Amino acid sequence: MHEVKMNRKKDKGFESPRPFKLTHQVVCINNINFQRKSVIGFVELTIFPTVVNLNRIKLNSKQCRIYRVRVNDLEAPFIYNDPTLEVCHHESKQRNLNYFSSAYTAAVSAVDPDAGHGELVIKVPSELWKQGDEMNVLKVYIEFSLDQPKGGLHFVVPDVEGSMAERGAHVFSFGYQNSTRFWFPCVDSYSELCTWKLEFTVDASMVAVSCGDLVETVYTHDMRKKTFHYVLPIPTAASNISLSVGPFEILVDPYMHEVTHFCLPQLLPLLKHSMSYLHEIFEFYEEILTCRYPYSCFKTVFVDEAYVQVSSYASMSIFSTNLLHSAMIIDQTPLTRQCLAQALAQQFFGCFISRMSWADEWVLKGISGYIYGLYLKKTFGVNQYRHWIKEELDKMVEYELKMGGVLLHPTFGGGKDKDNPTPHLHFSIKHPHTLSWKYYKMFQCKAHLVMRLIENRISMEFMLQVFNKLLSLASTASSQKYQSHMWSQMLVSTHSFLKSISNVSGKDIGPLIKQWVDQSAVVKFFGSFAFNRKRNVLELEIRQDYTSSGTQKYVGPIKVTVQELDGSFNHTLQIEENSLKHDIPCHSKSRRNKKKKIPLMNGEEVDMDLSAMDADSPLLWIRIDPDMSILRKVEFEQADFMWQYQLRYERDVVAQEESILALEKFPTPASRLALTDILEQDQCFYKVRQGACFCLAKIANSMMSTWTGPPAMKSLFTRMFCCKSCPNIVKTNTFISFQSYFLQKTMPVAMAQLRDIQNLCPKDVLNFILDLIKYNDNRKNKFSDNYYRAELIDALTNSLTPAISISNEVRTVDNLNGDVRLILEEITRSLNMEKLLPSYRNTITVSCLRAIRMLQKNGHIPSDPSLFKSYAEYGHFVDVRVAALEAVVDYTRVDRSSVELQWLLNMVQNDPAHYIRHKILSMLGKNPPFTKAAESPLCNEALVDQLWKLMNSGTSHDWRLRCDAVNLYYTLFGLTRPSCLPLPELGLVLNLKEKKAVLNPTIKPEQGLDTTEMTGNTMGVHIPVMGFTSSLDEGLITMETVSSVSMSSGVAPPPQGLKRKLDSVVGPLGSSSPEPGQVLQEEDTSKKFKIRFNTVEEDEIDMESPHDSQAFIHHHLNILERPSTPGKEPPAVDQAVLSLPVTPLPSSFGKESTSSSKHSGDHHHHHHHHEHKKKKKKKHKHKHKHKHESKDKERDSHAFSNSPASGRSVRSPSMSD
Amino acid sequence: MADPAVMAGGFSAIVGRSGCGKATSSPAENYQLARRRTLQVVVSSLLTECGFESAEKATVESLTEMIQSYISEVGRCAKAYCEHTARITPTLSDAVVTLNEMGFNVDTLPGYAKRSQRMVITAPPVTNAPVIPKALIAGQKRTHPSHIPSHFPEFPDPHTYIKTPTFREPVSDYQVVREKAASQRRDVERALTRFMAKTGETQSLFKDDVTAFPLIAERPSSIPYLSALLPSELELQTLEETDSSEQDDQTDSENTPVNNLNDDPGADKENSVLLAGGVVPSVKVSEENMIDNPYLRPVKKPKVRRKK
Repeated sequence: MHEVKMNRKKDKGFESPRPFKLTHQVVCINNINFQRKSVIGFVELTIFPTVVNLNRIKLNSKQCRIYRVRVNDLEAPFIYNDPTLEVCHHESKQRNLNYFSSAYTAAVSAVDPDAGHGELVIKVPSELWKQGDEMNVLKVYIEFSLDQPKGGLHFVVPDVEGSMAERGAHVFSFGYQNSTRFWFPCVDSYSELCTWKLEFTVDASMVAVSCGDLVETVYTHDMRKKTFHYVLPIPTAASNISLSVGPFEILVDPYMHEVTHFCLPQLLPLLKHSMSYLHEIFEFYEEILTCRYPYSCFKTVFVDEAYVQVSSYASMSIFSTNLLHSAMIIDQTPLTRQCLAQALAQQFFGCFISRMSWADEWVLKGISGYIYGLYLKKTFGVNQYRHWIKEELDKMVEYELKMGGVLLHPTFGGGKDKDNPTPHLHFSIKHPHTLSWKYYKMFQCKAHLVMRLIENRISMEFMLQVFNKLLSLASTASSQKYQSHMWSQMLVSTHSFLKSISNVSGKDIGPLIKQWVDQSAVVKFFGSFAFNRKRNVLELEIRQDYTSSGTQKYVGPIKVTVQELDGSFNHTLQIEENSLKHDIPCHSKSRRNKKKKIPLMNGEEVDMDLSAMDADSPLLWIRIDPDMSILRKVEFEQADFMWQYQLRYERDVVAQEESILALEKFPTPASRLALTDILEQDQCFYKVRQGACFCLAKIANSMMSTWTGPPAMKSLFTRMFCCKSCPNIVKTNTFISFQSYFLQKTMPVAMAQLRDIQNLCPKDVLNFILDLIKYNDNRKNKFSDNYYRAELIDALTNSLTPAISISNEVRTVDNLNGDVRLILEEITRSLNMEKLLPSYRNTITVSCLRAIRMLQKNGHIPSDPSLFKSYAEYGHFVDVRVAALEAVVDYTRVDRSSVELQWLLNMVQNDPAHYIRHKILSMLGKNPPFTKAAESPLCNEALVDQLWKLMNSGTSHDWRLRCDAVNLYYTLFGLTRPSCLPLPELGLVLNLKEKKAVLNPTIKPEQGLDTTEMTGNTMGVHIPVMGFTSSLDEGLITMETVSSVSMSSGVAPPPQGLKRKLDSVVGPLGSSSPEPGQVLQEEDTSKKFKIRFNTVEEDEIDMESPHDSQAFIHHHLNILERPSTPGKEPPAVDQAVLSLPVTPLPSSFGKESTSSSKHSGDHHHHHHHHEHKKKKKKKHKHKHKHKHESKDKERDSHAFSNSPASGRSVRSPSMSD
Repeated sequence: MADPAVMAGGFSAIVGRSGCGKATSSPAENYQLARRRTLQVVVSSLLTECGFESAEKATVESLTEMIQSYISEVGRCAKAYCEHTARITPTLSDAVVTLNEMGFNVDTLPGYAKRSQRMVITAPPVTNAPVIPKALIAGQKRTHPSHIPSHFPEFPDPHTYIKTPTFREPVSDYQVVREKAASQRRDVERALTRFMAKTGETQSLFKDDVTAFPLIAERPSSIPYLSALLPSELELQTLEETDSSEQDDQTDSENTPVNNLNDDPGADKENSVLLAGGVVPSVKVSEENMIDNPYLRPVKKPKVRRKK
């Protein structure tokens, strides 16, 4: 199925999975109704058939209501079938995630444009395809409308007085990966490029911003509306097309007049400021890539309720309006710049250069992430850059170690699901739309880190040459006409990228690619050393853990830096199979003469106080892989004084951060001194100093009994930030030095973590923080202090400790602790002041909500979610809502409240803001109300049903949300059957009679049933037989070739809860210990029988994957009929619907089975009857009948998916009968 | 401080009647009332002299008004004459000149004064002369330097023309200032929030005592991002103080989109004049900025539809 795109070794060029080539597409949206949230328009696709007799055209379209389809002015019948609407089509009590995941993957595959599939199948009128060998241009014209779209387009219509423009109503397109099909029919693939003509007719007070050049704006005849005409001459994938319409204020970039910025009314001053540095980013990228920005114009649009902060489309980017800021805001400024830089990097790699297939996504994400990193380095400095790399590496390593590996370049050889490259995941990585959001983020992270590794190998110069080569090839290709096959040069593939690298650099980076790109997981090192004084040798031992999940074995070079008294020395060691120990000769003898300065890595020479070190050893500190040129986690052991030297004298921020982390384990006065010194050093990178604050707080807590002097950091803070004359009063704010500003913000937060012997926050510290709040004076400051004030509230939150609980007493005002009363007063006042003078992004409200939740959690005030619930309602600023929701989620977990859980899930289903829905689910996943490991009263059948419905059908409009729901389901119930479900009745009865109850038998029957049920309904790409392979192995041998994912999906451990329940059921009956063997065998035989039956049938009837979908499609059409044909049904459509069953459709033109030709006629016939029967019979009966066939068909489609398309000509007549 | 009172007095003296009807009790008013009554007596006696037995009140009033105007005018002119010759007190000659100037034959005056039937009019009752409120003396008045004769008016208070000293020493102790500023701000904030909480809806953290830590109830807004992103007025003030240069170019280019939007509804159907008018501003814009951006270009008219 995927052979075309996945196999980079064989296929160098791009081969379209479609029997036609799209050359041009017109999108015309002539009515956008904000009141009704509807859109009406049409598209016209110009396609060139690449085969003779093209009779079916598959396009992508979701949720669009299609009125008519014409091909070259002839009405064409079509069917519309979206299997992802409802993944599992029957009322199954199974509720097994393994099953769902594979069914979902199957559904997504069934309409995957990268494989040539689509939801919309158009039959080319026979007049056209009977024309003979001549391959003529076909113009496919589709009229469609969208009514209250749930995905793809988002309408923001504030509920205030006035016209839509005055209300600031706007609409914009959004989506995760290729989601353009949600708002107009297209070939929604990143690899199908064409030129575009886009027309949008909108209210005269509105502006429509879209991709390409705005050619003209014309009034309609009634002068009430105007039409924006856009032309995009650069071949672009439909997935990179976007639109936003609203009463935008327009700002032409003062530096670059071809760049235009758009924001919502009243925000123009913010827009001006925020965009004032965009030109620098442009200059930077154009310079390093030695390539002009590929499009003739660029547009930035800032919208409310954005799906993600940044999304890039061809020649335009859509941002969240919350990125805008005024000149007074410090903290948001770098963040917004970073977002702009990301967006622009993606313009080059992602929009202009598109990808050949999903498996090549890593190249684009990698390059755009990498050049973004270069921008970071240039703008924010090397320290910031290295800090960022470390942060990204740590994040990614942590995720991989936890979840078990992120694979950049998955290969699905032979189309067999058996070789699932990531069996450890609960979702498939075959499609972007089945990925967990977190995984995708880590994927991007890893991609740019790998690019950096490649850079390390071939040098940055070559790297940039490669990028330049890709870009210049693409630019040349983009100016060509469609007849030449040059357009595919605009698509990047892993293969072409690697080829470029080897051409340019002449280096072989194969091993590197194999290790990090073709393989998932990271390396985990443990290092320790001993100094051999006699030999003057450092004996370094580096061990690896490559057995736990997410780890792999590393063989190859590793750099070790040793700082000795005589200087810093790099050593490259070779990590090999069995060698753990490495001897490194030292350069310097241990020192007697202490006067000499010590040279550092960067050539600097410093004086050090060497009294702390071991007199026998010349070693100051050792670093393993200091340049982060391996994707690894290093746990290295060295003495505390070495860490302290490293912190003080090593100039690399990564080393400093590592030593800070290590020093947490050494709570000694020496560590304290080293940390305080760093805190005071204003040349030190501010993030290191921030880290030192927290470390110092931890050390102070561990040293509680021996700590002398005032609380940690207090005198330091006083010295740095308080008035000379009155040390208890903080200076009035100026924030002129940003480094000091960040330190000033962090220190109180860290100080509040201090605890005294009673484990309370010292009174001193609390009063100190309260004074900071009291004396805070921002009147003379040109910067806003909102973040600072918010952090002071955070400090108050940090100072909270659990209340002394008087058992189960209701919390009242009277028994409020005095300190807490003070804190609460501050919080109340701050929160109330926010209503009168709101702060930027309501940072203070956010902090206050967190503080209140903390007060509740610690038992100071009654635990009550109602306040948070009111702040979480639609109509608050998004940050506030998220903070409030976080509190509700926390409440749900702590109080095990099913009411709140319902409330949250309700919001997931109904909230207008997509980001909030996503956020709720991901927060629930992060802080789950219960997990699969523990029992909880919340875990009940109704909840399982609800979540199941949510992921099965409730989230079909938003890929990301569906994957979030899957994640949550996984967190709550695991891969197998949720333990709270009642046992399947049949199995249970049977077992009770025999007085035998074991886990497997009770589930297996279900399993069997399940297969039967589901196959009739899924589009049937494979049959997921979940989990219980250990017991079914025997029976399934024949099946193995058939269903693949199921087998490889691993043996799921029996759910604990279920076992327990079973025991309790069986217990009273007084049964002895169950004998699994017997029951098992019985079950197995029945299973076998079924399977055999299947195999027989499968031999006789050779079915093709499209057929089994017929029933489903038809079923679907019945459902669709109502919504899709409003009012009077146009007869053409009617006919189309009726005529369909008579002409079954092949799903994959390119991959039809060769062997099917003979049987297919038979089969069609058979099927034909089936269809007729179906009309009379009730649907579910039909379903049941269908099960075996579909399973087989399904298998077939796999078995033959590699064969060339040859059966078509034979088959086509049979289709028309 | 003194000046306005004098002015007011002078004013009412000239206008005369304005204060009459109303029962007022200020000494200045009483003083004037007494004099006016005397004038009425004078008018009445003159009328009697001329042989009238009675007169309407309004007539008497009018005559009083006339006589008062006349006398005032004489006084004003005499004063002017005297000041013209750099003196401050009018002399007889000033009065004579004035009367002559006003067309009054001064020579007839002694005869008229000695006429037989004249009636003796009592002097106006002694009322307290209007107290001219004392000017607040601030600082030491300067004495005349030697070259200025002593009869010249005194210098005014130094604060009116040299400097105005504040009346209290500022508290210079930094700590106290900060302390005070902090507590003041806190008091204001607390009072304000309490007031808002008392007058509006609240949310409470405690079930037993809803008034304990009242939180102003949150109000969902239809466009929440505006208040969250735009700087508050307070912050804007600070910004203006620190940096006022940005304001100028802000208003400058704000016109650009406005123009663009304005010509949409303004342009009328089939009105070529208006159409031309619609184009003008955007031409101006492009002249000003020399920017050719498709979003700034004028919106085109639809092509004329052919009749079917």
